[in-house]
Amino acid sequence: MIIDSGLRVSLRHRNFFIVLILVGATFCLLPYWLDDYRLHVVIVSLFYVMMASSWNLLAGYTGQVSFAHAAFAGIGAYTSGILAVKAGMNPWLGVMMGTILAGFLGVCLGFLCIKMGGIYLSLTTLAFSEILHIIIINEYEVTRGTMGLQVPALMVEYSKAAYLYIMLAATVLTLIIIYTVIHSNLGLNFRAVQNDESAAASLGVHVVQIRVLAFTVSCALAGFAGGLYGHYLLLITPEIPSLDQQFLVLAMAVIGGMGSFLGPIIGSFVLEILSEYIRAYGEYHVLVFGLVALAMARFSPNGLTGLMDRLGSRRSSI
Amino acid sequence: MAFLEGVGITKRFGGIVALNSVNFRIERGQIVGLIGPNGAGKTTLFNAVAGAYKPTSGQVLFDGQDMTGLASYEMCRHGIARTFQVARPFPDMTCRENVLVAIINRRQSNSPAEQNRLAEETLEFVGLGDQRRTQAKNLNLIEKKKLEMARALATDPKLVLLDEVLGGLNTQEIGQAIELVRRLRDERGQTVFWIEHVMGAVMNAAEKVIVLNEGTKLMEGTPSEVVTDERVIQAYLGHA
Amino acid sequence: MFSLAIMNGLAIGVIYALAALGVSLVVGIMNVINFAHGEFYVLAGYFSFLFADALGWNPYLSMLVAVGLVFLFGIFIEYIFIRPTYGNDMYSLILTFILVIVLQNAYLLIFGPYPHKPPNWVTGATSIFNLFYYGNQRLAAAVAGAMVITAVFALIKKTWFGRIIRAASQDREMAELNGVNTAQLNMLSFGLGCALAGTAGVILTPVFPVTPSAGVPVALTAFVVVVLGGMGSMWGCVVGGLLLGLVENLGAAFISTGYKHIFGFIILILVLLVRPAGLFGRKEI
Repeated sequence: MIIDSGLRVSLRHRNFFIVLILVGATFCLLPYWLDDYRLHVVIVSLFYVMMASSWNLLAGYTGQVSFAHAAFAGIGAYTSGILAVKAGMNPWLGVMMGTILAGFLGVCLGFLCIKMGGIYLSLTTLAFSEILHIIIINEYEVTRGTMGLQVPALMVEYSKAAYLYIMLAATVLTLIIIYTVIHSNLGLNFRAVQNDESAAASLGVHVVQIRVLAFTVSCALAGFAGGLYGHYLLLITPEIPSLDQQFLVLAMAVIGGMGSFLGPIIGSFVLEILSEYIRAYGEYHVLVFGLVALAMARFSPNGLTGLMDRLGSRRSSI
Repeated sequence: MAFLEGVGITKRFGGIVALNSVNFRIERGQIVGLIGPNGAGKTTLFNAVAGAYKPTSGQVLFDGQDMTGLASYEMCRHGIARTFQVARPFPDMTCRENVLVAIINRRQSNSPAEQNRLAEETLEFVGLGDQRRTQAKNLNLIEKKKLEMARALATDPKLVLLDEVLGGLNTQEIGQAIELVRRLRDERGQTVFWIEHVMGAVMNAAEKVIVLNEGTKLMEGTPSEVVTDERVIQAYLGHA
Repeated sequence: MFSLAIMNGLAIGVIYALAALGVSLVVGIMNVINFAHGEFYVLAGYFSFLFADALGWNPYLSMLVAVGLVFLFGIFIEYIFIRPTYGNDMYSLILTFILVIVLQNAYLLIFGPYPHKPPNWVTGATSIFNLFYYGNQRLAAAVAGAMVITAVFALIKKTWFGRIIRAASQDREMAELNGVNTAQLNMLSFGLGCALAGTAGVILTPVFPVTPSAGVPVALTAFVVVVLGGMGSMWGCVVGGLLLGLVENLGAAFISTGYKHIFGFIILILVLLVRPAGLFGRKEI
């Protein structure tokens, strides 16, 4: 009901679609210019664009700062991988199943967190993420634990170019979904809930529905990204649903600018490319990365398009 | 049958009895004032009526229906709108967006064009037409209060609960605000239930006044009756 | 089996309580969530290793100096990074989350990936009620932890400094109006919180060597204890710490060792769902 009447987008936004198509078309030409390594960097960047953007939808637009986002990518990856390996399922179907499961668990987590605000919500998502991490490591029979689960590719003959197109299409789809939501009436409701839950309720906003919906969409998108990514890496390890990955996603969104549409996109590309360059100089890249993120968070949280002050003091805890 | 009726509304917070069996009636099309010394329970009563709190016991009847204990957003959908004592528009959203939130969540959905038109119109009504693109956090006090009222109005209510709209305004602004409240009733057909400390305003605009003191209803009557009542005078002086 | 698990649970529980005290203090006074709490634990562990093992100093002196250095480092971090996040618990969570990554990687670069530990203070084992033999170092750690906790209680409840802390954590504004220099108080409190983490670090490192990534589990455990016991409650930390230690070790003994740490997280979620104030906590943070 809300979705129907809420997702009409006026023609004002056609510029977005034009830019998206142009950029997408340019990216399609990349396999002709770049070598395999550089294509890999682009593919990984696209994964992070999907992750950072969908995390931003939850954290930057409804103010629910989740630390479980990487975990949901892991849910997508492991679901798809396990189904492919154990049940011989077609990887494409597996990715779909992974997305659905991630969305479903997102609903559960959303409801779990409904009575909490701010810090307690974040801690709960953190605990959820750690619980998942522990389960994955321990259930060796199914997940191969820290050894990693080897999974088939999405196509018969492995090709970086093909994966680029797949990830590109997935990213475009993700961005369209997010853009549409943000600029629709649903997006207004998201921001209303983030700004002031009680006032929103007094205006007729069904706060519980909005918050859970945000979790659902965000987590499903993460699962989708994770599912595809797993089949790209051909090896799914507990590294995917880890706090380290969560940090990367968070840093990219924060540095790029939380609460804006372009922020996470910019953050993802800039930081992923930067980290690859630094990697050439040795294992310092995460440290440098972290220092940049730290400086950003500390000195310009109202950053590039950042809106860090929207969190915390505005939302009352429980 | 009264438009809004409270029957024996009681609200306890732990050991504190904020409201003690309060009864009141409001007819359609009235402007009714709610006064009382600080801590009398006025905002608590509003919260109980608007769904922010669930009464410990008692009933809230609105237009014939029992609405006791419904959630805020449900109360809103049934036609009860409220403003807050400290105006709290959505700070990081524009005036237009603030009002749109109310409009898009109405029971009857409208086309985007209609929604935009309604938003424009509501902002014009309160006099914020040229502030439509201003972020709410950049508004001054009277503008915030106007936006607060615009938002409440935009939910297409039948009853509007105003919580101390005049606080902090200068004489001229008070005049503007009172005029706006009158127009709510006269031009928009709203029934208004109004908590206010600025006595002159309430006496001026309200047809009936209800007096609360320490959680109980002291009396109700016309403004002149209330102002001259001994118990009311004592209640206010006693809290001086 | 059962009694050994209980012993382990109580022993580690004391250290959990100690670590949690540091978090509780900082949250109570500054409304800041320090995700990097565990990194100070690790740093102190590394320092004590450095002084006692590499430089050959007296182990007790090493511990003292290590904690002292961590205290100073904590003050430094507070001044540069934590100050702008006052009262905004989400901002502090995110900022300190990033700080964790920075420190972790710094440790990796400086100390390398292999575990390090200072030498044991005591060797051998003692018979416990004739049921089993328990390592003396572990016993010493538990005793040392208990002593420090008692000292902290005494500090908070009996001294003027403690009084100021209690006042500020209950009503910051009033404290300020009464002449308390809250900026300085925050610095000291944060430093103290880090020092407590560091103390837990130097006490436990001889038993559990530190690695660069050992900090996060410590911080998470401290958070679980604080939520369980109730934010702002010191007794809550003690009871919560002991309870968690017991649950983890009993669970590890009878259910599964791999799943040892899951119990804490499940407890955290359950507590937040059912009784967010924790066992002893106040309603507000």
